[in-house]
Amino acid sequence: MSATKRVQQWLTFTRQWWLFDAKWQDPYKSATVITKYLKGGHKPIFGGGHMDCGDHVVVINSQDIALRGGDEWYYRVYFHHTGYPGGATWTKAWELHKIDPTMILWKACYKELDKNWSRRGRMLRLHIFKDEKIPVDIIPNITDQIPQLRAVPKRLKDYSQEEIEKFPKLFDFPKEHVLD
Amino acid sequence: MVNLTLALFRNARPHSLDAFWKKRQTLKLSSHFYGRARNCWSIAIRRVQRALMYVTEGRKLRKVHMKDVWNDRISAGAQELGYLPEGDRTLLEGLARSNVLLNRQTLGNLAVMEPRTFESLNKIARVRANEEYMARTLGPFPKGVLGKL
Repeated sequence: MSATKRVQQWLTFTRQWWLFDAKWQDPYKSATVITKYLKGGHKPIFGGGHMDCGDHVVVINSQDIALRGGDEWYYRVYFHHTGYPGGATWTKAWELHKIDPTMILWKACYKELDKNWSRRGRMLRLHIFKDEKIPVDIIPNITDQIPQLRAVPKRLKDYSQEEIEKFPKLFDFPKEHVLD
Repeated sequence: MVNLTLALFRNARPHSLDAFWKKRQTLKLSSHFYGRARNCWSIAIRRVQRALMYVTEGRKLRKVHMKDVWNDRISAGAQELGYLPEGDRTLLEGLARSNVLLNRQTLGNLAVMEPRTFESLNKIARVRANEEYMARTLGPFPKGVLGKL
């Protein structure tokens, strides 16, 4: 090895681009994973929160996130105050999601990151899209995918008729118990 | 006499312990502070005393921080090799049972500086893990490593 190339490190400090599919994922648990990539904690060169070795994360399908329980959409509340007397507003999660389907995930990641000056810069490397449509200039950058926390289960209508008939069953329901 | 120039005046040692040189010793420590705490002695002495207390605290915190860094690096290196998050315990346990007595500092440095060495160590650990039935779902069995079985 020549002396000039002794310390050459190919692409060690480049910013990579990751894809995360948020379909049917818990936004708050996903945020812990996403922020790890934003901080660079998934790399062995990571040496504490002060290091600037974070990556870009592209999140798709943010409109299909799943909140815990059936009614968390109704009891999770986002607070905002305009600064004027009586300016407090409490927006429920389902209302916020209706206004902007990327907002809940953005806020979850923002809250999860360390509260210091590097937070804004890291959030700029988070790109959230409500569906699978990604801008054309972002697509060629993406090199790898962050595995989902939970596999998206298949619905009954996604199975073909053959697979449904093949599925083992113990008995047929009596005819009078079947509505259609 | 060596400390003749202005540049060396900052590092001058007191020849006698009169008030000027005593203050000079304190102000040397406050030379990088912001505002009047840098030059006004009555403010500087308070800030310097507090700063020295922080230094004492920081000596302990630095060791804690470095331990965290090594753990993070081992974990990140293990995840690059296909382990789940927090799955590096299997790796460390496998190494310990293979009698590879490397501490976390060494393993963390290897994960950064010598990823291929780290990968080879992982192979040894994984063979042992499979032998001891620690982890059957770690993926394909590595080749080129001789185990007991």
